[in-house]
Amino acid sequence: MTDQTRRRLLGGIAAASLWSGMGFPIVHAKEKLKVGIIHMGAISNTGWEYYQAEAWRALQAKYPNKVEVTVLENVADIQSVERQFRQLAVQGHKLLFGTTFSQYASLRKLAPQLPQSHFECCAGIEAGKNLGVFEARHYEGAYLTGIAAGRMTKSNVLGWVGAFPVPQVIYSLNAFLLGAQSVNPDAVLKLVWVNAWVDPAKERDAVSTLVSQGADVISGSPNTPVQSEAARSAGVWSIGNTGDFSEFVQETQLASFELDWSPAHIEATQAVLDGNWEPVGRWRGIGDGGFIRMATRSPALPASVGKELDAAEAAIVAGDLKPFTGPIKDQSGKMRVTEGAELSDGDINSMTWLVEGVQGRVPS
Amino acid sequence: MTELLALMLAAVVAGTPLLYAALGELITERSGILNLGVEGMMVIGAIAGFAAVYATGNLWLGVLAAGLSGGVLALAFGFLAISLRVNHVAAGLALTIFGISLGAYVGKPLVGQSLNITDAQLSGGLTSIPLVGPLFSAVHPLVWISWLLFAGLWYFTSRTRAGLVLRAVGESTASADAIGYPVMRIQYLATGFGGVMAGIAGVFISVVYTSIWTEGIIAGRGWIAVALVIFATWRPGRCLVGAYLFGGMTIAELLGQVMGLGVPTELLSATPYLATVIVLVLISRKDSTMRLSVPASLGKSLDIKG
Repeated sequence: MTDQTRRRLLGGIAAASLWSGMGFPIVHAKEKLKVGIIHMGAISNTGWEYYQAEAWRALQAKYPNKVEVTVLENVADIQSVERQFRQLAVQGHKLLFGTTFSQYASLRKLAPQLPQSHFECCAGIEAGKNLGVFEARHYEGAYLTGIAAGRMTKSNVLGWVGAFPVPQVIYSLNAFLLGAQSVNPDAVLKLVWVNAWVDPAKERDAVSTLVSQGADVISGSPNTPVQSEAARSAGVWSIGNTGDFSEFVQETQLASFELDWSPAHIEATQAVLDGNWEPVGRWRGIGDGGFIRMATRSPALPASVGKELDAAEAAIVAGDLKPFTGPIKDQSGKMRVTEGAELSDGDINSMTWLVEGVQGRVPS
Repeated sequence: MTELLALMLAAVVAGTPLLYAALGELITERSGILNLGVEGMMVIGAIAGFAAVYATGNLWLGVLAAGLSGGVLALAFGFLAISLRVNHVAAGLALTIFGISLGAYVGKPLVGQSLNITDAQLSGGLTSIPLVGPLFSAVHPLVWISWLLFAGLWYFTSRTRAGLVLRAVGESTASADAIGYPVMRIQYLATGFGGVMAGIAGVFISVVYTSIWTEGIIAGRGWIAVALVIFATWRPGRCLVGAYLFGGMTIAELLGQVMGLGVPTELLSATPYLATVIVLVLISRKDSTMRLSVPASLGKSLDIKG
């Protein structure tokens, strides 16, 4: 008996390998598509990992019978990331999602080595062989919240708590000030770097310091409830930059925008299901199928400002308003974008200069 | 003037967790035990205290939970270092790694959660006491307690017999043992006390300071506390000054940026470690200063023969 089963087993394996070697499509009609996602941190109720999780939850809801999602969280070090991605690929996951820029380098290396699966990386820089990327145009949301800040500030001083001086943070804070200046030319932005991705105590100190120097609207990147709480207890406004913290601070948060990665997850999955997946780069802001969504607004925001925000949002969606349209000068007064010209995506993505009116510097 | 006062207060608040953790570590090291697990014990104190306040809304239950959990972790380290005579550095590093991971694990359901409590609750209900209430709304009760503890520990280590016994154990574990002092019991007590203090330092950060739980909330402050003990050359008075100096550095770094003073912020972040290295160099230059500053038996377990 045992011999027979073993023989049958071996036969099965042989048949299976023959089958897979004959170039049949990756996904069979009846079996579910296995999708794997690796989170770098723990999934929580706010912040980066939360929005990543919302994306695959949307995916599950959209394809309850076609897709099976495997989620790993808290995979922090690069060696584990690579090992786990390999393992997921070997286990038959045909579509794998990276959730942070930190995984981008690993995926760039792994994707060509594992052609049996397709790869997508959030916040990756450019599409590569067997690797698609998607990233949000954070600056569109930052520009809109800047309009609310520019209208509501009394001191004309805004504050920004920055984690590290990377282009994504720099273009966000520049757009925030440009939005404010579009309705309030006197607005300036005080900038402080905490030199840490996570250090809530220092973020709190940073907010108090900004407030002590006159700032009365606080935003930051990455934004956490700590910053909003600190702003509230110091009696100033806050902004929800890539997160809505109104449930923590109620009406003292003027406006907020959130990330929505579900279009990227759903499009890539549909493409794999249809068998026409291609590695592409998706960089999208507000609008249908976009990765940014305006969230709650404070009841304290006057209706006139609300209308202004709606109008600007509609103009961005229609493509009539591009936040980085000239004339834009940098801190030294040098013209960076001439009248009527607009910055290319490449220039935005590699931004290391600060617009006129930012008080602070980019550490060199 | 009020602005300057506000800045000094900010420096004091930023220095308070350092003061708690460093005073605790100072007592531990004075008994000859080098516990490098301060960061891990702070993480555990931070999450235990946060969870307790989250569930009950009572600051003092949070402080109790934080102190107990920090103390238990320290005693576990003590068992390794004192009873089993494991290398202190290795055991301490293991404790840090363990504490950080355990804190992340048990804190998972609370990540991103914020404490929804009133300012009065956050001050442990002391602000409503007539006459002295305003004292506690200006300066948090745990800051007051840190001052009382400082005064008590200064008196204890320099003016009491028990304090001298503690120091004797740290200077020469073998001699203290030969005289007949219960060396191991004293070391256990000192280590446990260090853990309690580290736990309170943790809860100060997670509850009083940020009122939010997230992984990485301690952000290396445990290591600054360890450095601070060296900077203070194992003396409580210098520990107090150093805690506020190091706390003030954070504020100065941020303020310098906002005021556009053009200070190199990375350098200011590194100041506590730089200052500690300089102090180490200064005290190691001469044998006599070395002997006067460093507990001679630090990091060496008592080896009872026969």
